[in-house]
Amino acid sequence: MNPKRFAAIVSMPLALIFILGVAPLGRAQDSGPLYERMAPIDQYLMTDRNTEIAFARTAAPESISRDAEVLVLGRHGYETVVKGKNGWVCVVERSWMAPFDDPEFLNPDQRVPLCLNPPAARTHLPLTIKTTEFAMAGQSKSQMFDSIKAAYDKKELPLPEPGAMCYMMSKQQYFSRKVGNADPHLMFWFPQKDNLSWGAEFPGSPIDVHEYSPQPITEFDISVSKWSDGTPAPVTSGAQ
Amino acid sequence: MEPRTVRMIALGFFALALALGALQQAPAEDAKTSYPSMAPLDQYLIADRNAEIALARTAAPSSISRNAKVMVLGPHGYETAADGNNGFVCMVERAWMNPFDSPEFWNPKNRSPICLNPPAARTVLPITLMRTRLVLAGKSKEEVKQSVKAALEKKELPALEAGAMSYMMSKDAYLTDKGGHNMAHLMFYMPLGTVWGANLVDSSNNVSEPFPGSPLLLAPSYKGNPEPIDMFLMETGMWSDGTAAQ
Repeated sequence: MNPKRFAAIVSMPLALIFILGVAPLGRAQDSGPLYERMAPIDQYLMTDRNTEIAFARTAAPESISRDAEVLVLGRHGYETVVKGKNGWVCVVERSWMAPFDDPEFLNPDQRVPLCLNPPAARTHLPLTIKTTEFAMAGQSKSQMFDSIKAAYDKKELPLPEPGAMCYMMSKQQYFSRKVGNADPHLMFWFPQKDNLSWGAEFPGSPIDVHEYSPQPITEFDISVSKWSDGTPAPVTSGAQ
Repeated sequence: MEPRTVRMIALGFFALALALGALQQAPAEDAKTSYPSMAPLDQYLIADRNAEIALARTAAPSSISRNAKVMVLGPHGYETAADGNNGFVCMVERAWMNPFDSPEFWNPKNRSPICLNPPAARTVLPITLMRTRLVLAGKSKEEVKQSVKAALEKKELPALEAGAMSYMMSKDAYLTDKGGHNMAHLMFYMPLGTVWGANLVDSSNNVSEPFPGSPLLLAPSYKGNPEPIDMFLMETGMWSDGTAAQ
C-alpha cells in the first residue's frame, strides 16, 4: 500500500474507528520513539472476529465483498473464516505490508482492509500471508526483509499475475498518523521487471506509483471519488 | 484551435459516463440521431494539422503529452506529425473505434483524444491504425471487422501486452452526441474475461450493474468483437489541464 500522496483527512475517520472499535489508538508507544520494534502481538489483533470480518468487507462495495472469502488475523497468521464464491478475498492488512522504509511499518494501530480480485488472491495474497507469518513469529524488520527477499529469490512467492488488483475503499481504513484514512483507491500490481510506464507521479497525473523492495513489485494507485458505502470521499489531489 | 467544435466515444461510453453521473441527461432529440453510413471524408478530418496535434496532446497532462509522439489523421490513415521520446503516443481517434454495432460508429463529429502508454502504443495502437486505414480505403463496417479478425487470427496484429493503458482526459473531446459529450477517464486494456468487478455497458447504451458502487466500467468496445480485449474505464474527475471535471 502506498498512501504517500494521499491527503491527510483525519478527524472524522478516527472517530469512526473509535466507534467501530477496530483500531485502539493512543498507546504507550505514542510518547516514545515510534514503532522501532514490534509492539505486543495483542495490539495488532482485533478482539472481535465478527468485527474484523465486517471491517474486511468494507474494502469493496458490498456487491463484491459479500461473496468474497474473508481472512482474519490470528496469533500465528491469517485464518480463513468465511468461504467465498466469487474468487475475491477480503482481508485487513496490518502495518508490515507497508514499504520497509515506512516509519510506521510496525504501527500497531494500522488497519487497512483490502479486497483482492482473483489474480491478486492467487499472486499477491501469498505475500500478505507470508509477511504476516514472519511478523507474528517475532521476526525483526530486518529479518522480515531478508526472509521476504529469500522467498522471492527462491520463487516461493509468485510475481503478480496479469490483472492483479484490489479495492481499498473502506471509510474506516487507517494507514498512519500522517495520512489517517487517506482516500479510497484501487491498486494494481505488476512485476517490476515489466518496467511499466503509466505516467504515474507526473504533474497532473491521477496515478501514483510505488516500487517495493525487496518485493519485485510495481504498484499503481488511483484514487476514486466514493467510499465503498457510496458516500463521497473528500477531494484530494488525485482522481475524484 | 479549430476543434472546439470537436466532438465525441461510443454511445456505450455515454452510458458509462451517465452511470457515473459524469454527463448530463441527454436532450431527447439526441437519441434520434443516427449515422447509417460513412460521411464524406472531409467531415472526419481536421483541416489545421497543428490544431489536431494540440488536441491530441490534451488527452493527458502536458507533463506526459509534451514528450509523446503525435499522430494526425490524413486522407489515407494516421501519420506521424511529431516525434516523441517517452514512449507515449497521442492522437485523436474517430468514431470507428466504437464497437461495430454502435449507432455512432460513423458519427463524423467524434473527436476522441487519447494518449497511449508504451505497451498500448505497441499493441493497441496497431488496431486503431488498421481500422482507420481500412475505413479510409472505403471498406464497409463488416469488411473492416472481418479484416481485423483475419489479421488477429494470422497474428498480423500483436498480442496485448500487460500494462497497456491510456489517458482520455481532454476537456475538448467529443465522445458522443449524448449529454455532456465527454468524460475524463483512464482506460485499461486487459485480456478477455478479466475480473475487476466492473459494471457493464453494451453498445446499445444499456447499463447493467452487477457490482453497484464499483468505480470501474467495462466498455463495449473490443470485447472479442473481434479484438480479444476487455477495456476498462475509470473516471478521473479532472481534466488534463488540472481543472475539475463534473
